[in-house]
Amino acid sequence: MFYIVTAFHTEAKPIIEHFGLKKITRPCRFQVFVGDNIVLVESGMSIVASAAATSFLLTEFGAGTRDVALNVGVCGAKEKSLKKGDAILCHKIINHDTKRAFYPDIIVKHAMKEGVLETFSSPVDKGEYSESRIEGDVVDMEGAGFFEAASFFLPPHKIHCVKVVYDYLDGERVDPVRVWEYIRGNIPLIENLMTCYNVLDEWCPEFFDEEEPEIVREISRGLKLSVTMTYQLKFMVRSYMARHKREPEALKEFLNVKVSSKNEGKIYFERIKEILSH
Amino acid sequence: MKGLKKYSVIKSFSHIYVEEGVMDHPVTREIIGKFPGAVKIGIKHYKDVFCRPRQNFIVQEMSRKLILARKKGEIIYSGPEVCQDFGNKNFYYTSPILNCIYGCEYCYLRGMYPSANIVVFVNIEDYFKEVENLLKQQPVYLCLSYDTDLLAMERIVPFTSRWIVHASDKRDLIIEIRTKSANYSAIRQLPPAGNIILAWTLSPSEVIEKYEQKTPSLELRLKSIKKAADDGWKVRLCFDPVLYFENWQRAYDYLINQTFATIQPEKIYDASIGVFRISRDYLKRMRKIASASEIIFYPYEERNGIYSYPEELKEEILEYVFGLVRKYLPTEKIFI
Ligand code: SF4
Repeated sequence: MFYIVTAFHTEAKPIIEHFGLKKITRPCRFQVFVGDNIVLVESGMSIVASAAATSFLLTEFGAGTRDVALNVGVCGAKEKSLKKGDAILCHKIINHDTKRAFYPDIIVKHAMKEGVLETFSSPVDKGEYSESRIEGDVVDMEGAGFFEAASFFLPPHKIHCVKVVYDYLDGERVDPVRVWEYIRGNIPLIENLMTCYNVLDEWCPEFFDEEEPEIVREISRGLKLSVTMTYQLKFMVRSYMARHKREPEALKEFLNVKVSSKNEGKIYFERIKEILSH
Repeated sequence: MKGLKKYSVIKSFSHIYVEEGVMDHPVTREIIGKFPGAVKIGIKHYKDVFCRPRQNFIVQEMSRKLILARKKGEIIYSGPEVCQDFGNKNFYYTSPILNCIYGCEYCYLRGMYPSANIVVFVNIEDYFKEVENLLKQQPVYLCLSYDTDLLAMERIVPFTSRWIVHASDKRDLIIEIRTKSANYSAIRQLPPAGNIILAWTLSPSEVIEKYEQKTPSLELRLKSIKKAADDGWKVRLCFDPVLYFENWQRAYDYLINQTFATIQPEKIYDASIGVFRISRDYLKRMRKIASASEIIFYPYEERNGIYSYPEELKEEILEYVFGLVRKYLPTEKIFI
């Protein structure tokens, strides 16, 4: 699942249109749009708003290690070497106030430029703010909040800020049409990044700390196994599968067993241990 | 599927993280000069990147990044008990680099570090100073290639050569540099030093193909060893870890016969044999990340916090391999 966080509807609109997302109708603190394998939330402006919306989204939809979170929006660039409309995949995100820096893992291929994003809690205008005090190549008001919140849920190679250069921190008025055009123009690059993630996930093995296999849950229930015994069973099944490269067929005969006491369950458990040790 | 991976994953060392304090260190400049296309990212401390929560070691192994940093605090450590000291007193080790480019499936580094990225401590001068301080008190036996394969990294950062040059005239210092690489050519220009031991880990081709996929083949390793031994270096052979698998006896028969058919036994300084063993905590973490690994999920037995083969099997393996090596080397040159 891809979770996308934008600050404003003007940034979200081209994404909603492109992926055919539909607004969820149930009452919700944030505007949320869902589609096939994509959920988008509009956070509103500020570090805190972005962190709150990100946490809400990832909790509400039960994000797991296989999911990806993207913060997409416009930003201001410090230097003119970055062109208006350029999409920047940020490899370092600095919270200007706390000076805390976050580093996503850039593992999958992408065709964007890269740079450092610095997130401020108020708008930055180069006329009033000394350039030497700006560390980032680009500046926004959400990225660091999004990243810090998403880091509680996802690994660092699954969290990215994609920022599209809108102005040069010169206080230019925000034109919704131009925001739409800039974001729309970069959707192929964002989609390409998403495709690379899909390929990576197909290749990557399941991880052991993910949910226990269905068969383990069923047997555990039928045999009244304790939490520790269930964990042991889960481990033995994984271990068996790693060694034999197939599921333990012999376990199926235990699927219909329903014991009446824990002691009876223990006897079956010993038999299972014996089977899985080969 | 592997082909698909190629289209979706960036090449290793595409990004180099550099601590602010070592930006201008000559070793930093040397490394960066070798990766002109890499993206450089400034960081305050290497742990800001290396110790982030929830990193995925297996995914990072596909696209490792370099982190250049300054090692502070303790630099040289006392040798751990699980490691062979080859009869040397004052056994120490050091880790100028954290992590290894080879990524062997059974490697404890997967359970030890939160990240697969490679940290290079560029301040080699501080390591030299620390060794000199130790040498003022006692002779030192120092293992250099801990928590990495130093010689495998030689073309990225030539620490092996620098250590050899620095150590070769220090009579009270014995250095072991352990490797699985076939990279002897990178240090061949140096005259052999009597206090430097080049130690090669050898495994049967079956093990290399299955669990050490990114390491050089047995043939290439043996060629490297032969050249080093013929040039007059002290060469140590490490049959460690010996693994248990179907037809393991036949595989180790072939490995050891092939080794001594390539290299004259009298040119070997000594050899070690050890079965696979790993600490409880590392194994636990490895089992979390390496879901399909039969070597990691083998039902090992725990003794004093260390997991290894059941005692009887362990004895059988050690005895068998010892018997094979003994055909070529005197017993006093074989360490278990
Ligand atoms: S060569 Fe050694 S250090 Fe490197 S991955 Fe393999 S076992 Fe680990």
